[in-house]
Amino acid sequence: MVRGSSQSQASSGTTSRPGIAGMAPRGSAAATAGMRRRRLGSGSSSDMGGGGGSGANMLRFYTEDAPGLKISPTVVLVMSLCFIGFVTALHVVGKFYRYRSEA
Amino acid sequence: MGGGFRVLHLVRPFLSFLPEVQSADRKIPFREKVIYTVISLFIFLVCSQLPLYGIHSTTGADPFYWMRVILASNRGTVMELGITPIVTSGMVMQLLAGSKIIEVDNNVREDRALLNGAQKLLGILIAIGEAVAYVLSGMYGSVGQLGVGNAILIILQLCFAGIIVICLDELLQKGYGLGSGISLFIATNICENIIWKAFSPTTINSGRGAEFEGAVIALFHLLITRTDKVRALREAFYRQNLPNVTNLLATVLIFLIVIYFQGFRVVLPVRSKNARGQQGSYPIKLFYTSNMPIILQSALVSNLYFISQLLHRRYSGNFLVNLLGKWKESEYSGQSIPVGGLAYYITAPSSLSDILANPFHGLFYIIFMLSACALFSKTWIEVSGSSAKDVAKQLKEQQMVMPGHRESNLQKELNRYIPTAAAFGGICIGALTVLADLMGAIGSGTGILLAVTIIYQYFETFEKEKASELGFFGF
Repeated sequence: MVRGSSQSQASSGTTSRPGIAGMAPRGSAAATAGMRRRRLGSGSSSDMGGGGGSGANMLRFYTEDAPGLKISPTVVLVMSLCFIGFVTALHVVGKFYRYRSEA
Repeated sequence: MGGGFRVLHLVRPFLSFLPEVQSADRKIPFREKVIYTVISLFIFLVCSQLPLYGIHSTTGADPFYWMRVILASNRGTVMELGITPIVTSGMVMQLLAGSKIIEVDNNVREDRALLNGAQKLLGILIAIGEAVAYVLSGMYGSVGQLGVGNAILIILQLCFAGIIVICLDELLQKGYGLGSGISLFIATNICENIIWKAFSPTTINSGRGAEFEGAVIALFHLLITRTDKVRALREAFYRQNLPNVTNLLATVLIFLIVIYFQGFRVVLPVRSKNARGQQGSYPIKLFYTSNMPIILQSALVSNLYFISQLLHRRYSGNFLVNLLGKWKESEYSGQSIPVGGLAYYITAPSSLSDILANPFHGLFYIIFMLSACALFSKTWIEVSGSSAKDVAKQLKEQQMVMPGHRESNLQKELNRYIPTAAAFGGICIGALTVLADLMGAIGSGTGILLAVTIIYQYFETFEKEKASELGFFGF
């Protein structure tokens, strides 16, 4: 079982894994920690990707926990949908209001 | 630590107000990740079509036209700012941290949290600032026309959209979705553009009767309605001013070329020092810095365009201003295009015949693109911490060595490949962009290169996720 998992990881591992190579300075400690953890579970061969996108890593900003107003992912999605609904409602009300004031 | 005053600590009072998506406390299954990604994408797409409430007009020249590709923004919609706030704040923070203006100790948890918070706070502040600037500068009509109430509503909408983008991005980053929100949004925006240009059912009357905007639809329309089929075909393939089939084919060709090149890599074997028999490989890709040179290059160019356009509008007689760039409104789109000065020479020639007419322009453009990309690529590995020195340090931290080389030699060995890969990869990316521009690929060379590299990254993530999923369930 463990073996199987490591095999499939190794086969996919040649593709870039946002790992050691291009970590932004900030994330590197966490990244190495992650690598270490991952390697514990794997068997004889482990492939460390990387070399890939420092490009991708620049676009990787908030990956860690910070204190703050905790919200769950569902809340984010609902919030966005509410926002969309709100703007749409504004349009509708705006049209209606203009129609009334013109009449 | 030296103690004393630290800029980063200024953020602390605000930390508790910043929205923060909870980290996943369990492993999110692949299916769920896909669902989260799709919903985020859907929200983004709706937001980039939904017009802002209260705007008066969005006609006239658009000074940000050249930036819209990399910023995933759409004019006059809720996504007017696109990902500008996040990207700008991220770049500013990384530059500040990289140049040691603000000190960050990566090993201290609190410092990382503070830096994250600072980035987010700056993002929100930038969103507010830009929204106010947009409204006050009269991009949607002057404030008097809009009315104070509407002006405030527009600012609120833009700010909230900015916060939503930040939250969506964080949601995807924190392991609920695939890849990063920012690149997802950029790629979506470009792909949407390409699909629209290929299949748009809008008709445009350009003097020869109504024509469809979409290249594929126009092809069939012309083939069916015209009696002379050969001329119809030629028209569909070579028509100017509207996307034609050649453009579409060029786009597909560039897609294929980039994907082919993505596979080029040098694989260095590495071996663990303490765990016996643990072998690994460290691939160094040809596109070592991926799409970063392009992003930086287009950020530079679009900022230059923006400044030059502003200056040209105010002081069009000035010699120095004209040296920087002369602008003229295009008769088709009402869009300003550069016709002279530096801005003209760093703009892609519109076609091959244009190059023949202006060989110096073409030559300057090619040289500029290639050298800028190579230079940015080399700079980027230093800034982002993926230079030979950093990689060697990280390998050492993980107790990895290269078989047949002494440990002290590691950096030297890496140095043989990494700078070359970075510079050459940058040149290749630049050359591909030039090629795409010359062949008239839809959505500009920069856009396509960005889209393809991002999609490829996504493809890799996808494969990896699927593979680990399969392994997880004991295959």
